Amino acid sequence: MGNMITAEFRKILTTRLWWALLIPAFIMALGVAWIWSAITTGISNDLVDEELIQQFDVPVDEISWSVIALVRGMNLASIFPMVFGALGLASELHRKTITTSFLTASSRPGLLAAKSITYALWGLIYGLIIAAGVSLGTLIGSDRNYLPDAKQWFLILLAGLFMCVLWTIFALGVGALIGSPVGTLVILLIYTLIVGPLGEIALFTTTGGSHAPGFMPNGSANGMTGSTASVLLFDQIQALILDRGGQVVDDDVREGFQQFISVVAGAHGAFSLWLSGLIFLAWTGIFYVTGMLRNQARDIT
Amino acid sequence: MHDGSGRIVVSNLTKSFGQVAAVQNLSFHVEPGSVTGFLGPNGAGKTTTLRMLLGLVRPTAGYSTINGQPFEKLGNPGRVVGAVLEAQGFHPSRSALNHLRVYAAAMGLPDQRAHEVVQLVGLGGAANRAAGGFSLGMKQRLALATALLGDPQVLVLDEPANGLDPEGIAWLRTFLRAFASSGRTVLISSHLLAEVEQTIDQVVIISRGQTMFYGMLDDLRKQQQSRVIVQPADPSALVAALQAEGITGIQPTPDGKVAVVDATIQQIGDIAAKAGLAIYGVQEEKADLEQLFFRLTSGQYAAPGAQMYGQPQGGYAMPYQQHQQQSGGFQYQQPIAQQPYQQQPHQPPVAQQPYQQTSPYQAPTPYQQPAPPSPYQPDPTANPTHNDTTGQGGNA
Repeated sequence: MGNMITAEFRKILTTRLWWALLIPAFIMALGVAWIWSAITTGISNDLVDEELIQQFDVPVDEISWSVIALVRGMNLASIFPMVFGALGLASELHRKTITTSFLTASSRPGLLAAKSITYALWGLIYGLIIAAGVSLGTLIGSDRNYLPDAKQWFLILLAGLFMCVLWTIFALGVGALIGSPVGTLVILLIYTLIVGPLGEIALFTTTGGSHAPGFMPNGSANGMTGSTASVLLFDQIQALILDRGGQVVDDDVREGFQQFISVVAGAHGAFSLWLSGLIFLAWTGIFYVTGMLRNQARDIT
Repeated sequence: MHDGSGRIVVSNLTKSFGQVAAVQNLSFHVEPGSVTGFLGPNGAGKTTTLRMLLGLVRPTAGYSTINGQPFEKLGNPGRVVGAVLEAQGFHPSRSALNHLRVYAAAMGLPDQRAHEVVQLVGLGGAANRAAGGFSLGMKQRLALATALLGDPQVLVLDEPANGLDPEGIAWLRTFLRAFASSGRTVLISSHLLAEVEQTIDQVVIISRGQTMFYGMLDDLRKQQQSRVIVQPADPSALVAALQAEGITGIQPTPDGKVAVVDATIQQIGDIAAKAGLAIYGVQEEKADLEQLFFRLTSGQYAAPGAQMYGQPQGGYAMPYQQHQQQSGGFQYQQPIAQQPYQQQPHQPPVAQQPYQQTSPYQAPTPYQQPAPPSPYQPDPTANPTHNDTTGQGGNA
């Protein structure tokens, strides 16, 4: 297995794709986080001056609004590890290098397992680079008082890392199932950039703000980071209110607020981090297992 | 684990892709120390058979083993069998050396081995160039280098001469002979017998997914039929004299000579002398191996007339001989030329030099032989072009 993982790493490192996707992933993570942190900073600064907000006695300028930038940046940049994973097996099938790969592997399941481990590790590498990008972008774009504390920051990045690994394996499975790099990329990009987000908004509004979008692959993936952010923000605001002698808000308000933040973070109707993670893990499992079974039996002609 | 014998066994292998039967009940085995040619026209099922042997395609029925084990149970298969299946399995931007390093790693070999094989196949100068810029011949060499990485005991090559220049083919030939003579096994497919004739010892010929011939190349050579071309002063008289002696395999040639298949030069000379007939020239013609190959593999995509060879008999049939026996005195009669590689039967007769007939089995159709219904006139139903009844004498 070690030999085959070494071979898979060599396959990746001897071509340009890994850095050709890693660089734009970093730039997009940085740029998106920068823009979103600038937006949240601007809006928050305006809100602080509003009399209406001042009446509520909520210290808007002490809340870590920039977590939204971290979430937005990670969610959008995660398309790069997804593309990377999508090409993992599909391009081998397309370029027919799969023939030699199978001929030199101890077994087909062995090769597919080695590839999966390798791509999971690369999903993690992409996740780390994206995490660095969103962190840097947020640092640049956000006012200091809106930055999350270390624990919040770390939790969101951790959810994002997990999401990047799952997207990579999810796409590896879809590519293995479809077998064509172009077909895989078109389907995945159209889904994650257009059909998924718009569909989730439509589903969210038509079902009266239900959790339905959180069951979708894209919705559950975004929900991992989005709900982490919303929970963190709510807890922070709750703590601030209590500090000032306020009361614990009831569950309806909590639910409503968290949904609102999820929408702002681009994760409509998301479940909690763990539920979202489990749902996306299940989706990943479905595509990964069917994709691998398809290649276990595939005639390489 | 495998037995280290270097033996390939293909047993009743069958593969259907939907309704299409690509390979039907194919059986043969390949012994170490020999080069076996796996021959058949394009689409005969060669590649599918090799891919089943290598575990890439799942057979519908039957099995195949290398060293006594199916491919998937070889453990580290790259160390047992090397395969050159297509010259396309390269990432275009990966260098030749990096390509080899990838698969060296997969087999647990040191990088040094990648350097060795790239030199071995003569690609040392291009080792750091991207494979996408390689010529077809260079890609074939790189594919061979990949196959040799694990220093395998068995080598399987699918049309390896494609894209190789004559020098490359000669090099490959020498290489494969040396490889086999070291006690290893080589199975090499081709759609051209001539291309591998000098390389192989044993031959498996398939057509339409079925075995047409399986045996030593020398045995195939022995099947080559020869005929004697006689230029007599009076063809009719000679034919009459030969038939009187019980020789029936007689056929006129377009240029007024007589072709005889079932008699030697000596016999014909004796008969002619006894009958007091003048003979101006005698020559023996042998059908070459390639023609025999056409015969065995003809009609793959042909009309019903091509069914003459019938079903293979346990994969060891000698259908050509059967056909010879069935067709009586017209052994050289080409039954409706469906052969994709067959010489055009209607080429102008001027192109046929009397002693340089490119296709001895070719029907003498182009020539409207101005011959009377002479005693040696062949059966008109078998050779309609000789129905000429102009009443003129022979041109002797």
